[in-house]
Amino acid sequence: MTMFLNALLFLGYILIYPGFLFCFVVGMLLSGIDRKLVARMQKRVGPPICQPFYDFFKLLGKETIIPAAANRTVYLLAPLLGLAALVTIQVLIPVFRFTAFSGVADVIVILYLLLIPALATIMGAAASGSPYAGVGLSREMVTILACELPLLMVLLAVAKSVGNAMGTGLCFSLSEIAAYQSAHGSLLLRPSMIPAALAFLLVIPGETGSHPFDAAEAETEICEGMLAEYSGKPLGVYKLSHAIKLLTMTSLFVALFLGGLGTGVTALDALIHVALCAAVTVVTVSFVHAITARLRIEQIFKFYWTVVAGLALISLVLAWFGL
Amino acid sequence: MSMVSFQHFPIYAILVLFLGAFVVTAFGRKGTVRHVVAMLCASISLLLLLALIKPVMIQGETIAYWLGNRVPAGGYAIGIALEVDALNLFFGLLVTVALFVSTVYSLSYMTHDEHQAEYYTLLMLLGGGVLGMVLSGDIFNMYVMVEILTFSAVALTAFRSKVYGALEAAFKYLVVGSIGSTCILAGVIMLYAQAHTLNFAQLSALIPGNMTPATKVAFALLLVGFATKSFIVPFHPLAADAHGAAPASISVLISGVLTKSGLYGIIRIVYMLFGTMQLGAIQLLLVFVGSVSMFVCVTMALAQHDFKRLLAFHSISQIGYVLTAVGLATGLGLSAGLYHAMNHTLFKGLLFLAAGAVLHETGTTDLDKLGGLSKRMPHTTALFLIGAFSISGIPPFNGFASKWMIYQATYQKAVESGNIGYVLVTVVALVTSTLTLASFVKVTQSVFFGQLPKELENVREVPVGMRIAMGIFAVLCVLTGVFPNLVTAYLTEPAARAALNALGYIDSMMGAGYAESVMVTPPAPVAVSFAASGVWAPVNWLLLLCVALLGITVVASLGKYESVSERSGERVAAKYQLFYGGEANWDAQVGGGDLFWGFKHNWRHYFDFMHALHSGIVNDYAQWALVALALAVVVLQIVL
Repeated sequence: MTMFLNALLFLGYILIYPGFLFCFVVGMLLSGIDRKLVARMQKRVGPPICQPFYDFFKLLGKETIIPAAANRTVYLLAPLLGLAALVTIQVLIPVFRFTAFSGVADVIVILYLLLIPALATIMGAAASGSPYAGVGLSREMVTILACELPLLMVLLAVAKSVGNAMGTGLCFSLSEIAAYQSAHGSLLLRPSMIPAALAFLLVIPGETGSHPFDAAEAETEICEGMLAEYSGKPLGVYKLSHAIKLLTMTSLFVALFLGGLGTGVTALDALIHVALCAAVTVVTVSFVHAITARLRIEQIFKFYWTVVAGLALISLVLAWFGL
Repeated sequence: MSMVSFQHFPIYAILVLFLGAFVVTAFGRKGTVRHVVAMLCASISLLLLLALIKPVMIQGETIAYWLGNRVPAGGYAIGIALEVDALNLFFGLLVTVALFVSTVYSLSYMTHDEHQAEYYTLLMLLGGGVLGMVLSGDIFNMYVMVEILTFSAVALTAFRSKVYGALEAAFKYLVVGSIGSTCILAGVIMLYAQAHTLNFAQLSALIPGNMTPATKVAFALLLVGFATKSFIVPFHPLAADAHGAAPASISVLISGVLTKSGLYGIIRIVYMLFGTMQLGAIQLLLVFVGSVSMFVCVTMALAQHDFKRLLAFHSISQIGYVLTAVGLATGLGLSAGLYHAMNHTLFKGLLFLAAGAVLHETGTTDLDKLGGLSKRMPHTTALFLIGAFSISGIPPFNGFASKWMIYQATYQKAVESGNIGYVLVTVVALVTSTLTLASFVKVTQSVFFGQLPKELENVREVPVGMRIAMGIFAVLCVLTGVFPNLVTAYLTEPAARAALNALGYIDSMMGAGYAESVMVTPPAPVAVSFAASGVWAPVNWLLLLCVALLGITVVASLGKYESVSERSGERVAAKYQLFYGGEANWDAQVGGGDLFWGFKHNWRHYFDFMHALHSGIVNDYAQWALVALALAVVVLQIVL
């Protein structure tokens, strides 16, 4: 009986909360809020908040065309695998004191798990055979390279800072970082962690491929690059993945830097978490989107490896000296 | 009783390979005979070493085998000895597994070549040489085996002598490889002059407390000598040429096994013979050389246009990881390094075999001329992708497990030693890993996906034998990635403990109490922790992924997909053709070499510098070797 209940709980975690259903609804909401706000900032009316849902269900009903030149298996499997990988990351990220699955992966593993959805998109794009996808995947890979360095340094700084405070020297476990913050207050309150938090905020638009770091998609030059040949259901799945990635990256920020704001009540915490994710989305994605123009790929790379990595480095050095 | 019979297994494993080499030459004019002999020798040698896992790895026995039963007398070990503890056995297993798979692959891969009997002779000699080198218990026989493996590797590099550049590559390898072998011989002579023995265990007891300027020079000579065998910076250009020319089945051995023999030599001499691994300066030296190797070679790989040259540079980049981890001198680091060494043999073997498969069917390994092979060679593509994901460290494949341990180990080392320089090592290791991913995305895109060139329309999948060989490596890549706990518990941790237990090694060879009688301070077994500070449970994660994937697939597969099967010559409907912005269908692929322009542009000065440096002239590379030797001599005189 207990085993049955455990299995049920396991499925519930993955498929409902904080897994698939939660990701689906909140990710789409974040995407809708983003679109609406960008439109308002640009003095347009903008789509309704629920537009991403309508788009998604419309795409599901559309014809799926597999190009003759494509490798069918990879072309169809890539979007599904990417989505599944994103959902598994989401269930590993703590929502304040609640962690669905602790003891599976630490922050370094999360850094690598984040590569899987991007890699799946790249593989799908390569398999489609389109030259636009070729350009797109090249730019996507360089964007990943650009973001990886600052992101790693942020994680190392956090690991060291929490480890210092706990007396263990370093702490890579996300649930321990969350537990520490709920006992001692958010990391963002620590002056030494502010540059790292800023760096992380700047990484979010890069990782989610939004303006001005969306050279890989660049609708106006390379026709959405990697998605150029996708249509119907697989395209819908990609759009969903993109929305969920917004949630994943912002959740990671909340878990790493704002973990002290929880109340201990699971349902209420979930609401606060979503609200914070929305706020982070507005600040890092919508606001930046509305006021900037697209950068070229080599500018993106340079920006991340100098400015953002520099910010992260400041925190890392400060944490190193125990501040 | 059982122990006695196990005693003979190591010598049989070596002998059967050398015997096989002669038998193939004598009776191998017929294809079946040489195939049977080669397979038999490789399998027997593999089985003999597999049988040793239980006594050596699990029960912790050490096999001391004296040829002709000339056991040490009067405190002096004169006889030729084989010594098998967990560390040797670990490397021995890598050798025999790689040799076995390479032989399986060769059976179908080499069918169109001439002089096959000679090929198998050299193959067996190479395998036997490396196996003898890692199992040898005295340093002179190590040198003899190094010569055998170097010369068979040189000959095999030039085996396809009609291929452009093969003889040149072999010549370069011969020159710099000989410098390395000479260094080892000179080091051995100097040690003998100082300690009057060649036995490894006895040297390990006599040398550490009595370092003289001469033994320091010997240390430098041996270090540089073994470094040339593992191709780490500054000896890396050789590997690129050699791999570019050698048959793929040989590249598997050169990259997977021969470089490991150099690493084995380095581990043995720094941890045991000279007992210097607790010195911060030696740790820094190894970590520095390792980090430089991993970064320089991954950037060199990114700039390559040839599949096999690209793999060759990655090979050294991965060796850099191993050396870095080994240089940390912590339990976790050593275990992680050995784990990565094993993984490297598996995934790089797989990748070289895939490159060989592409060469076998298309006749080229030029990234700019290939494309779209996934539709013609689906199995090779799938197997290649497993290898590519493994080397790029994508969870849950094996490269991730070991790299993750290396990140933990380097960062822990940074925290424990308070040296912020080690943080830089963590960062370099991770950036290198991402660059590795980038360059394999490049290979995937320009060889297996993208458009199929007209000339390659008739390409077919490779023979079953070659796919089986790749399949063995692929299965091992997945298994060692999904069950890291088993790998560390039964393979790498025993080996790491053996490397750290100099006293046990000396006593098992020279008799208990020998070390205490000659050493002022016998080395205490170092107490080390193998615990990582992070968490990674691949099986649980895979379970999560499968459930999520299943759920999503069920939802997604409701409904129908429209598609058309591609038939050559038949005109497909416009909607199934690729979108070219309204232009007529023309070839518009991004060339493999230009794929990461955004990255290369920012690093253009670095790349220009590197291109200027790698002149391709053997005189330059020989000079690098001599400069490295001079530096090593000076540095070691100062720090020891």
